[in-house]
Amino acid sequence: MSVLDILINYHMAFLQGLRVTLELCAVIWTSGIVLGVLLGVTSAHFPNSWGHFTHAMSFAFSAIPTLVVLFWLHYPAQAVFNVVIDPFYTASLTLSLVNIFAVGEIVRQAVSDFPKQYIIAGQVCGLSRQDLVTKIQLPILFRQLLPGLMVLQVGMLHATLFASLISVEEIFRVSQRINSTIYRPVEIYTALAFFFLLVCLPINLTAAYLKKRYTRDMSER
Amino acid sequence: MLEARNLNFSYGDKPILKNVSLQVPPGGITVLIGPSGTGKTTLLRCLALLEPPQSGSISIDHETFTYPWPAGKAFTPPWPKLTTVFQQLFLWPHMTLRENILLPVRRRKGGDIHGELNALIEAFDMKDFIDSYPNEASLGQRQRVALARALMLEPRYLLLDEITSALDVEQIAKILTYLKGLRGKNIGIFIITHLLGFAKHAADQVVFMANGEVAESGSPDILKNPQTERLYQFLSVIAAAS
Repeated sequence: MSVLDILINYHMAFLQGLRVTLELCAVIWTSGIVLGVLLGVTSAHFPNSWGHFTHAMSFAFSAIPTLVVLFWLHYPAQAVFNVVIDPFYTASLTLSLVNIFAVGEIVRQAVSDFPKQYIIAGQVCGLSRQDLVTKIQLPILFRQLLPGLMVLQVGMLHATLFASLISVEEIFRVSQRINSTIYRPVEIYTALAFFFLLVCLPINLTAAYLKKRYTRDMSER
Repeated sequence: MLEARNLNFSYGDKPILKNVSLQVPPGGITVLIGPSGTGKTTLLRCLALLEPPQSGSISIDHETFTYPWPAGKAFTPPWPKLTTVFQQLFLWPHMTLRENILLPVRRRKGGDIHGELNALIEAFDMKDFIDSYPNEASLGQRQRVALARALMLEPRYLLLDEITSALDVEQIAKILTYLKGLRGKNIGIFIITHLLGFAKHAADQVVFMANGEVAESGSPDILKNPQTERLYQFLSVIAAAS
């Protein structure tokens, strides 16, 4: 059975798994970008309270393996609180938290380190507060943040594989189940790689487009 | 009149400005000279209302800013009526040089801003690089753009910090001639420079600072006949070096 045969015969199962993976990503990416940016901006403006909190949480989530957090929230936490939560929600929450604090820390650092002289130059030129934010600060920050955030989001897509370990029926778990039935690991994982390429290609193309459109080497001669 | 009275400024325990007073009249060129590290740029930043001195006052025409500034009192500097070109220029890196000039002026002026810009492009020889980004231009080119950005705003007072340091002799002559021409527009210019030749020929007033104090000030004649030992020493060192 070739890779093509597997894709044809099991395409419904793969697509179902891919749908779950993309649903997970939609939750993780949306919450991470929206809440992470809010958290980062708030942390930059309140460095002694929110700033320390974001830094500490980001450090904790980068130090503790995501799988450990995922398992902890799935097994012991639910046992302690005597609740049963759909693993999809547990995975969504865990990976969203990781993403929110990672995005928050990247944004916090970028906003905190923003060169104040560009703002001062705008002030003495009489730019309004709104123009300073929309014409100077946001475009420069966007260009600085874009590459790092895109890489992080692709990393979060890959991290959705962990969800398979708590029984979320995402594409990796589907692949494992197919493999347990027909035992063709090389072909099956090649097909899985194909699906990840399919998802990552548009992301990478979008990242490349945005990078070409908005980022450039701004270092002076 | 842009006027500073008894400005005192210190970083921690280190005094930078000691009881500095000076006047920058509209339609005149005031040149500030002095050794490095003597507080010239700090004075310019205070005059630009970017750095609050510990005490003293700054008047811009009929508006007076008295320091220490009362906590909670609204602070609304008259930018860009009073504007500054910094030594480090601070052009916005994500915009072309043309956009750098046009952004501040677009919201403030109607009329033919492109015509005014074209006249400056011509005057400062900027045609070949005006659509480049700041990192694609040389320091001298960026200095001309930063000056053009300020001039497009038609300020009443223009503070310039060493803006000709990277220009060649021909460009310096062009820009200084242009600055002299601004007298006719009643713009008051305050310029920090090491170009004593410019101070001699174009300045209406020369201020010499040493150790955070105005050691001597007056007409450009003080550069020929210094009245203080400190200015005499300063001029002697420069004469020996050149």
